[in-house]
Amino acid sequence: MPSQSDTPTGWRPRHGVYWLIIMPALAMLVLLYLVPLADVLVTSVTDPKPGLDNFLLLFTSTSVQKTLLTTLRIAALTTFVALLLGYVVAYAMRAANSSQQRLMLFCVLLPFWISVLVRSFAWIALLSSRGPVNAGLMAWGLIDEPLPLVRNETGVLIGMVHVMLPYAVLTLYANMRGIDVRLVAAARSLGASRFQAFRMVFLPLTRPGLIGAGTLVFILSLGFYVTPALLGGGKVLMIAEYVAVQINDTLRWGLGTMLATTLMLSVLAALWALSRVLDVKRLFGA
Amino acid sequence: MNRHHATGIVMAFAWMVLGFLALPAFAVVPISFTDTRYLAMPDEHWSLQHWRAFLSNREWHDSIWQSLWIACVSTLGAVVAGTLCAIGCWRASSRWSERVRTAMILPMAVPTIVYALGIYRLYVDLDLVGSAIGIVFAHTVTGLPYVVLTVSASLANIDPRLEQAARGLGASVGQTLRWVIVPNVVPGILSGAIFAFIHSWDELIVVIFIGGRAFFTLPRRMWDGINDNLDPVIAVVATGMILFTLLVLSAELALRARRPRS
Amino acid sequence: MLSPVPEPLVRFANVRKSYDGTVDAVSALNLEVARSEFLTLLGPSGSGKTTTLTMLAGFERPTEGRIFVDGEDVTDVPVEKRGIGMVFQNYALFPNMTVAENIAFPLRVRGVSRGEMNSKVMRALSMVRLDGFGDRRPQQLSGGQQQRVAVARALVFEPRLILLDEPLGALDRQLREQMQYELKHLHQRLDVTMVYVTHDQVEAMTMSDRVAVFSTGALRQVDEPRRLYEAPASLFVARFLGESNALPATVRQHDGGSCAAALATGETVTAVMPVRCAPGSAVHLVVRPEKILLGKAAQASPNRFAARIAEVTFLGDQTRLRLVAFGADDFIVKLANTAGQETFAPGTEIDIGWQAEDCRALAE
Repeated sequence: MPSQSDTPTGWRPRHGVYWLIIMPALAMLVLLYLVPLADVLVTSVTDPKPGLDNFLLLFTSTSVQKTLLTTLRIAALTTFVALLLGYVVAYAMRAANSSQQRLMLFCVLLPFWISVLVRSFAWIALLSSRGPVNAGLMAWGLIDEPLPLVRNETGVLIGMVHVMLPYAVLTLYANMRGIDVRLVAAARSLGASRFQAFRMVFLPLTRPGLIGAGTLVFILSLGFYVTPALLGGGKVLMIAEYVAVQINDTLRWGLGTMLATTLMLSVLAALWALSRVLDVKRLFGA
Repeated sequence: MNRHHATGIVMAFAWMVLGFLALPAFAVVPISFTDTRYLAMPDEHWSLQHWRAFLSNREWHDSIWQSLWIACVSTLGAVVAGTLCAIGCWRASSRWSERVRTAMILPMAVPTIVYALGIYRLYVDLDLVGSAIGIVFAHTVTGLPYVVLTVSASLANIDPRLEQAARGLGASVGQTLRWVIVPNVVPGILSGAIFAFIHSWDELIVVIFIGGRAFFTLPRRMWDGINDNLDPVIAVVATGMILFTLLVLSAELALRARRPRS
Repeated sequence: MLSPVPEPLVRFANVRKSYDGTVDAVSALNLEVARSEFLTLLGPSGSGKTTTLTMLAGFERPTEGRIFVDGEDVTDVPVEKRGIGMVFQNYALFPNMTVAENIAFPLRVRGVSRGEMNSKVMRALSMVRLDGFGDRRPQQLSGGQQQRVAVARALVFEPRLILLDEPLGALDRQLREQMQYELKHLHQRLDVTMVYVTHDQVEAMTMSDRVAVFSTGALRQVDEPRRLYEAPASLFVARFLGESNALPATVRQHDGGSCAAALATGETVTAVMPVRCAPGSAVHLVVRPEKILLGKAAQASPNRFAARIAEVTFLGDQTRLRLVAFGADDFIVKLANTAGQETFAPGTEIDIGWQAEDCRALAE
């Protein structure tokens, strides 16, 4: 390993010390994070009795299937819209001058750090039938009565895109920044029109970014709880909220942990697959 | 010209999307001054009634206090353990330390609801549901990734030759750490601390499960408020939370400006 | 030797370019490129040579003036419609395409049929001696090979003109020299017009039919390499190409193409004066270090002065002397180390001199 040969010799004999200082964090992670997750896994095949009965519900229970379908549909739609909007924003950021760029980056980062709860609440207020969006549309005479924008899938989608867009923009932007601008210039000088240069050179080069951003947004969307619960108003049940309902209201631990396990394994499998194409750690990099 | 036309359309559309990103949260600010009893923009005049209601409500005060100290203590834990871990992994730099660093990201990747179930079951067994130490530990372990990532990033920026140069100029291991390594990592530690703090301050799902009857942090009380009745007082709280986040975020931006670029 | 023909392939007519509206990156440019010519734009960075090339390519629009290619005004023609091949500084090979796909790109966007495309790509590959490399990715090639792919890509659609923007800058010295000859041979074989940008004077001299020297946004001189070196029209050109001794002097009198000028130390010198200057005006007397005569040889020359050797540096094929003369200590003489060349020691008093035609009086 190259990094090891860089290590000054004076540090070598103290290797044990490094594992000692890694320990507190590692112990916490194992005891307070990995053990609980393992417990969820175990419960899913032992409660109420050992076996894969809980997982059979994935194929037999209509309410489970309906929830899964809703989850997949909303996650897919969110991913599609976030990629589309995110691509345009990232493209514009790349083309903008540096002062514009800073303002744009600020606009992207700002919602990143405002609590999802606060943002969902703001969207409820904005989209409700007496809220400013409907009021504005009626004042302009575009509609006669309030549109149902919240407590349905539309509201969930708006809220989720809003939460996911920064992830898409930042991942795509990081990818686009790595593309040499001269490549597009070269394509133009060789006879490609603006559109041809974009389609044949720029777009293919952003494919890793699209794959990365798409996977990231999709798997984060799968596990979403707060936004769908609040903006769906209990009418749009995604998997995370469904799990919470099983535990808190009906105390069906077997079903709840089975769905949680399914959710976790899908997310980790997607991440693992993605890690074969790109450096996943960078996606989560601050 | 044609080219400016196309770029202009892209730019205009991008700014619209950016507006969609940045502005909506701020809708809670005017709503907090509404003169109505429901969630709406101020109708006839701006009113302080909901701010007064908030200021005279002890439950909200208790929640703020709880959220604040839980966030502070768990940030401290995450910063100490996370920084040591990042430095240890950086120095040990073996396949195993690389795996540890990857494992540290798990809490960011695994859906919170899954962890909430697991930690709830563990705490039921240990009788830690509704205990302060339980919440602090849960927030510490889920805050770790932020610290490990930011500190690792700072460490990766340190040119290995800097250290060799320091050693070559006669500095001991301890002196090298104190004068060369640590000064370069401090901004990373502070950034990580801010992220870990915001993480705990905003955390809702785990607290819903393990908070019991004693712990109603600010997010949990807001959550209950939104689900029970959409009282405009919540807009007041939301406004406060945004202001607080902006404050913390600008501190982070100031730090980032000072952090040396790789 | 080539000289501008009545109908040039490229013509810059009074072109000016300003990016910010206050400073001109290129000003009052009038330049012609003849058919089949290899013309090099030479100058330090910021001299306007690259701006000139990008305007010709179509990436930048002149603020004023027109650009003609083949008699057609292309000033407002977009890049992709100009039919000009370009080789970029860092090659700009598309990493998402194979070598063959890269070379096929200009044909693909022109809608050339698959069969014709394949045969043209094959021919271009063999032209740059990369047969069999078509399926590789650009990242798998060495710098020199990438360079050849970039050239093949610019040649394959048989453009009327090929522009090269410091294409050898990223290569090490040996490879660069080899590529210089390859490019030159390619130019001769294909009979194509090439406009080449570089800041390396040796490169410019090696490859070009003519060199256009730029500085601070202005074209200073265009000529064949030999004439540029031996008959620089300005002090800048004299200093930029090769080494020279420049002695400040004042014009006393002039007579047709020559003049008599007085040095600050009092001596009077006769020199060639390519651009006429009025008596009393300040000039620099420029003499190339290898044109200096020493000792006995100097005594016969019309310009003869006393000097002392300050330093002797042996450089293999030549010896370089630094002399104290004309009140300064930076007068340089270069001697070829031919058989029987006498050796010199520091501290020796010696006569120096030069022929009148080897000394040029140039204004600033």
